[in-house]
Amino acid sequence: MAPPFLDRWSDSSALQLGVLGVGNIGMVHLKSALAMPGVDVVAAADAMPANRDKAASAGATRTYDDYTTLLEQEDLDAAVVALPPFLHADAVECAAEAGVDVFVEKPLARTAAEAEAMIETAREANIALGVDHTLRYQPDMTGVKEAYDEGSVGHVPYASITRLNDHPLGKPPADEAPPAWPMDPDAAGGGSLIELGVHCFDLLEWLFGDLEVQDATMGKTLNIPAEDAATVLLRAPETETTINLHCGTYQWEQLPEVNTRLRLEGVTGTISNKEHMPGNFYAGAAKAALSNVASRFTGGEPDVFGPTFYLQAHYDALEDFCDAVRNDEEPPVGGELGLRTLELAETAYELAAEGDGAELEPPEVMT
Amino acid sequence: MSVHVAGIDAADRRGGWIADTDARLASFESPARSVLEPYVSSLTAADRITIVPDAHYPFHPSTGMVTDPAVVGSIADHLAGWTEADVAVAGASDDRIAFDRTAEYLSYPDIVERFGAEIVDLADESRRNSVVTVDDEQVSVSVPERLLDSTVVVVPTLRPTESGPVAGGMRALGRLVSSAADAESTAVAATRTVEPALSVLDATTAFAGDPIAADTLFAGPTQQVDALASSLLERSIDEDPVLRAAFGVEEPSITVENAGGSGPDVDLTTLRRRLPNGALPPRDETHPAVTLAYRLYARVAGDAVPPQLESGR
Repeated sequence: MAPPFLDRWSDSSALQLGVLGVGNIGMVHLKSALAMPGVDVVAAADAMPANRDKAASAGATRTYDDYTTLLEQEDLDAAVVALPPFLHADAVECAAEAGVDVFVEKPLARTAAEAEAMIETAREANIALGVDHTLRYQPDMTGVKEAYDEGSVGHVPYASITRLNDHPLGKPPADEAPPAWPMDPDAAGGGSLIELGVHCFDLLEWLFGDLEVQDATMGKTLNIPAEDAATVLLRAPETETTINLHCGTYQWEQLPEVNTRLRLEGVTGTISNKEHMPGNFYAGAAKAALSNVASRFTGGEPDVFGPTFYLQAHYDALEDFCDAVRNDEEPPVGGELGLRTLELAETAYELAAEGDGAELEPPEVMT
Repeated sequence: MSVHVAGIDAADRRGGWIADTDARLASFESPARSVLEPYVSSLTAADRITIVPDAHYPFHPSTGMVTDPAVVGSIADHLAGWTEADVAVAGASDDRIAFDRTAEYLSYPDIVERFGAEIVDLADESRRNSVVTVDDEQVSVSVPERLLDSTVVVVPTLRPTESGPVAGGMRALGRLVSSAADAESTAVAATRTVEPALSVLDATTAFAGDPIAADTLFAGPTQQVDALASSLLERSIDEDPVLRAAFGVEEPSITVENAGGSGPDVDLTTLRRRLPNGALPPRDETHPAVTLAYRLYARVAGDAVPPQLESGR
């Protein structure tokens, strides 16, 4: 049992939060935090002037072009790390030096070893370390878990999960410069398995317990440095479930539709996440909007991003982290869970390399 | 003016796309030779040949949104056999992405360098200014010298632009020059300045709302090929300012000749019927009215406005 965190956040004032990196997902975190009761977004940092301008327009009190300067100059309780993965470890180290709790966008790190070092850094500095694994917060996935835990289809010998999108090249008409780092394994830690697969690993262990990677294969539809397709065969010993995971960044995505499919094949039937999503996105969004408006007039709090369930999941994940920090508790999705997803990914990469006949590096021998 | 057409034998293919590049090169060898052969004399006289594919962005070639690099490789292969010319495959870096990155992602170096062709980024080339008349207006264009000093073969894919008309060879050239004029006048001026020897339309995979394995290559004069492509996608030539300016008051008259080869004969009516006539996917950016409504809702309900509703993804 980890010790409670230092009681830095002990008074009744709002949690002072900074956001490090306000690109696409960083802006979601920023807007979530701005809408969150008991949280003050005092600062945001980004190397891109346009992103800083957006953050300032959204409501960040101060902006910085360097996250290290932000951490040095601001008196924060917590920081969201939404920088590219190659900066996560450095950002956590800086936050640890400043005694600031951190909520890190997935993947926690580029490698399991890097994640272990980050966890150790956080432990030594006695700061909380949370990870933004959000599939478990999506209503369609909580619906699957409820149905599964209720035993609604009996034993589940087989499950499959597919997550596809078009990050970072997008679909036509493409008029934005695609960043290079998501396709650079040195910068991102891998390709689609790191971008999307880690979310799936987290969800599957949440559902089925510890997983074992049985086999894996990686693919590239374009001549890019990292894989844009990954297929992993998994086994969950506790539930005796065989699972097929496929993720890829090769498929055009037309928002608001997202291609995330989870199916649990049970003895008496199938549980699908599609059954737990609004049949029509816009109808569901309208219903959520009406509910929020009604809530406002009855004195309640709105479900932030209520009409957009996948953004609401990010809000809920950050809110859980902030609540944990306030209560001196371990974050519900902490560094160890983030590490676990990276360990599974690394095993999958190793098995895929073996399958390709690629030479593996000889194991390091300690003398 | 004749446009030559050749079908690609797809009888043994599974699905609509051959993933193996070598196999695609093999399947294009005969039809590419067939559509190029009528123009051999104009190509063999050249010291330098520049092939200009539609490589505006690294979309997967199976979408039809870019020229299949294997089609370009097949053309380079034939040119290497017929001429002593230095052959280059050219594109240009733009604000979004460097051409060498696009070329690399699409495997151009691996494909064309085996035929002795080089990859050239025209953004790095010196330029010359030229003034041409388009629709009675003087249009000044700054053109990469390579396009002026070499024999140019344009290889567009069969797809529409975002605004609706066919993309075509003239617009492909227009993207490589700079001008203060609008994009349409620039495309016409670029074509008149560069005077491409030939346009090869890659309709092996076409895109018009959805991709389709159309299994066809066309070759001929650039504006005639563009007009034919427009017709195949059921776009009105009168409503395309580039084609309207290119042809003026003349009604395009295009003769299509089957070029033979080992593939099946192409029936244009059947091909036109098979092709979808849709558009590019809609942008993710939400309609301003929806954004406004969401802002109003967010203000009333106390909710946050998703960043995606404020500016692109």
